[in-house]
Amino acid sequence: MRWRRRKREEDLDRELRAHLDLETEDQRDSGLPFVEARYAAQRAFGNATLIGEDTRAVWGWTSLERLGQDLRYALRIMRKSPAFTATAVLSLALGIGANTAIFTLIDRLLLNMLPVRNPHELTQLMRVEAGRADNSFSYPVVHALDSRRDVFSGVCGFTWATFNVGSTDTVARVGGAWVTGAYYETLGVTPVLGRLLARDDDRRGAAPAAVISYGYWERRYGRDPQVVGTIIRIEGQPVPIVGVSPAGFSGANVGFVADITLPVAALTRIMPERAALLETEPQWLRALARPRPGLSRTQLKARLDVLWPQMASAAVTVNMEPDRRRVPLSSSIDVSPGGTGWSPLRGQFRQPLLLLMSVAGLVLLIACANVANLLLARATARRREIALRFAIGSGRGRIIRQLLTESVLLSSIAAAFGVAIAWLAGRFLVNLLSSGRREAMVDFDLAPDWHILAFTSAVALGTGILFGLVPALRATVAAPGPALKDDTRTSAGSRTKLAPALVVLQLALSLVLLVGTGLLVRTLRNLQQLDAGFRHEGVLLMNVDARRAGFEGPRLAVLYRELLDRLQHLPGVQSASLSTNTPLSGAKHGGRVSVDKQPQPGTAQFNAVTPGYFRTLRTPLLLGRDFTLQDGPGAPPVAIVNEQLVRQYLPHGNPLGRHVAVDSEMEIVGIVKDAIADDLREPPPPAVYRPYFQRPHEIGNATFEVYAMGALAQVAGALKDELRAVLPQAPVQYQVKTLTEQVERSLAQERMLATLATGFGLLALLLAAVGLYGLLAYTVGRRTGEIGIRMALGARQRDVQWLVLAGALRLAAMGIAVGLPAAWAASRLVSSMLFGLTPTDALTTLAATTVLAMTALLAGYLPARRASRVEPMAALKYE
Amino acid sequence: MAKESSDRIELLQGTLDMLILRTLLSGPAHGHQIAKHIQRTTEDVLQVEHGSLYPALHRLERRHWVSSKWEKAKDRNREFKYYRLTPEGKRRLVVEESKWKQLANAIARVMWPAKESR
Repeated sequence: MRWRRRKREEDLDRELRAHLDLETEDQRDSGLPFVEARYAAQRAFGNATLIGEDTRAVWGWTSLERLGQDLRYALRIMRKSPAFTATAVLSLALGIGANTAIFTLIDRLLLNMLPVRNPHELTQLMRVEAGRADNSFSYPVVHALDSRRDVFSGVCGFTWATFNVGSTDTVARVGGAWVTGAYYETLGVTPVLGRLLARDDDRRGAAPAAVISYGYWERRYGRDPQVVGTIIRIEGQPVPIVGVSPAGFSGANVGFVADITLPVAALTRIMPERAALLETEPQWLRALARPRPGLSRTQLKARLDVLWPQMASAAVTVNMEPDRRRVPLSSSIDVSPGGTGWSPLRGQFRQPLLLLMSVAGLVLLIACANVANLLLARATARRREIALRFAIGSGRGRIIRQLLTESVLLSSIAAAFGVAIAWLAGRFLVNLLSSGRREAMVDFDLAPDWHILAFTSAVALGTGILFGLVPALRATVAAPGPALKDDTRTSAGSRTKLAPALVVLQLALSLVLLVGTGLLVRTLRNLQQLDAGFRHEGVLLMNVDARRAGFEGPRLAVLYRELLDRLQHLPGVQSASLSTNTPLSGAKHGGRVSVDKQPQPGTAQFNAVTPGYFRTLRTPLLLGRDFTLQDGPGAPPVAIVNEQLVRQYLPHGNPLGRHVAVDSEMEIVGIVKDAIADDLREPPPPAVYRPYFQRPHEIGNATFEVYAMGALAQVAGALKDELRAVLPQAPVQYQVKTLTEQVERSLAQERMLATLATGFGLLALLLAAVGLYGLLAYTVGRRTGEIGIRMALGARQRDVQWLVLAGALRLAAMGIAVGLPAAWAASRLVSSMLFGLTPTDALTTLAATTVLAMTALLAGYLPARRASRVEPMAALKYE
Repeated sequence: MAKESSDRIELLQGTLDMLILRTLLSGPAHGHQIAKHIQRTTEDVLQVEHGSLYPALHRLERRHWVSSKWEKAKDRNREFKYYRLTPEGKRRLVVEESKWKQLANAIARVMWPAKESR
């Protein structure tokens, strides 16, 4: 671009010189000496500089050449005022970074299509039973659907799981998936190596086969091309690797990387104790379908409405009670777009992420207001420059374009930093997301791709124009005349109204965010400090399943009893117990109950516990007795119930001695306080506890609870040693964690919201404080003369300080006046996420208002001190 | 020699373009030749500052009415930038010419109404 222009310049120069030479020759022919001839030629030619200028004006500038000029000039301006540039870029980078980070998560979790063939064709299937949609299907139903070639190209079921991989000494936990045979074909994925699983791998009795992900192939096998055929040990069982899935594909379970994928039929060999999952009753597979080509989703739904009632028999068995058989038979199948795969994180984090996106948007708006204010201040300083450009003939459009180029350049640089910030912050966000999962294996590829870059560029362009346009329009209305005179101290009127308005807007937005933050933080605290009916402090949980080691029924009971006995005698252990469920574990077991042989309308939660369970969890026993070891297989069946069950089903008379039945009658021997079961936000449901060892044949996996004093890590180590002692070389599955962790995990969503909202709230406050400080400092600078006069007339330092601080408070008051109604209106949006307080909670509002006012005072402090140190004489002399 | 300045007429806005196009109708020419040609044919009545030709030439070129090329002059060993009329330029000349005639007629009707009414 530039060389073409230079060539044209040279061309013109040559052309004009040639003309002058010819004319000089002509003049000499008429007899003039050379010098005079040249002079005459020049006179005939006219003003050469002006003509050159006029000619160049004719060429005009291409828009690209102009952009280049504008950019070069903008860079020069930015380099000339590094403090301004740094402040503006930093505040914008934080705002853009926050938006990019949240958008990255939204994109990865909610928007990204699976890397498969025509992902938009994929359809998620849902069971609708008694008006409630459920996305889980049983294994036989998935197969039955898959066989309907008249409507589907394929239907597959899948679920995420973790596997113990390796031999005894080097067992690693690896994320994986159980999938039905049609999985890869339905999704349309082709192998990089070997083959993928097919329908034949998913028949009963088929040899187990594993497909590994590209990432696992890379990390674990260094992309060894000979990996196909390698035998890996999964849960102790040898399984050959048959193929490698393509890069980028890590399963249909979004956010959970499946490094090893196994066919469901292999369950019977690899996890024999869970073979029942292949039966009709367990609903545990998510289903994705690809309709037959040409069949739209609506048509598919219509076909299924007719088809499903004919095949619903696949969902029932003869041993089901008539009541329960009716439910699947009267169910229907619903369809929804499935191209983005499935993720349990969506239900949990969709709303919070969208909320955080708007919060990040507000932060960016505050940052924009800040930069707009800086630009206004600078436009005042640049009035002379702009006036000069007007005076020498620049058009207004040209100057506005130049100023906008500067702001967009500013926001683009900030966006580059913002992308970096988002990338760095991404890890932290994913950790916040995954802190809620039992297995912390949530993972996303956060590297910025074109989605992210397009989003960020759009944001940068939008913000650049947003914060740059008004100052640019303002800066260019001034008439050049007065501006060229040196009267910057009196004619800065253009800033006086707009700037405070921007600061008030900033303060108001900050208040909205502060109120929101306060509500979310207090919600988290309310949930954490809730009287859950049990205490989590000092309690360790150890999950053991010894069935893999060949223990069953009574032998399992003996083993668990021995282990429990050993644990109880460990140093530091106050009490130990064993149960099938623990609070907030995510697993629950419940159903209908009858009281005194009368079936009850509602349900209750069931749990089997050993003596000491209530002591370990410190749930008070209100009436009657705890279980004892005498409540064994031969003894009369007994139960302990909670207050809620009594309130709901036994409101009259003494509940002790009455009978409650789950599947058989039990005598109520004790009543305990209500305890939270699986959701801190839900009031405790009615609960029935029965003695753990009373029905030995029902014993399966178990959780040991240990309440200990002292360092829990040490006790945890001792627990593992005891387990090794009773099961020397058996491949057992076990896991030790604290109950506190388990409780905290159930609060992942609330913690993420509270943490990020706090971060964004503080950022907003900081930006608003900078904005306020800038305005006050500027005002003090302008009013130096006035302050000098006041002091000369006897104003004390304190009066002057108050003058400035009152200004700050006035702005804060206006911000509060605007912000409070906005905050109340906005907090309705989060009301569904709150716990234990209303959106207009007085304490939260008061606290947020106070914080804002204090910040305003703090921001006013420095300018106030500067004002009070004005030397009256110096100020007046300068005037 | 140039006439006394009082006898010379300032060129009307826009007419220079037409004069240049007309000059080029008889064949390619470089700037100096065009200037000389206009000067000579108007017998020095029209005052054309040679320099003012160039913005006009470049403007015409930008509108694709003329094209330019550096070529060696026939009578000397030096390259000059020769301008020639494009087909588009020829069409333009016709338009300009008819506009000019209309203008001249209109002015004539105002200036010498008696002649016209008779």
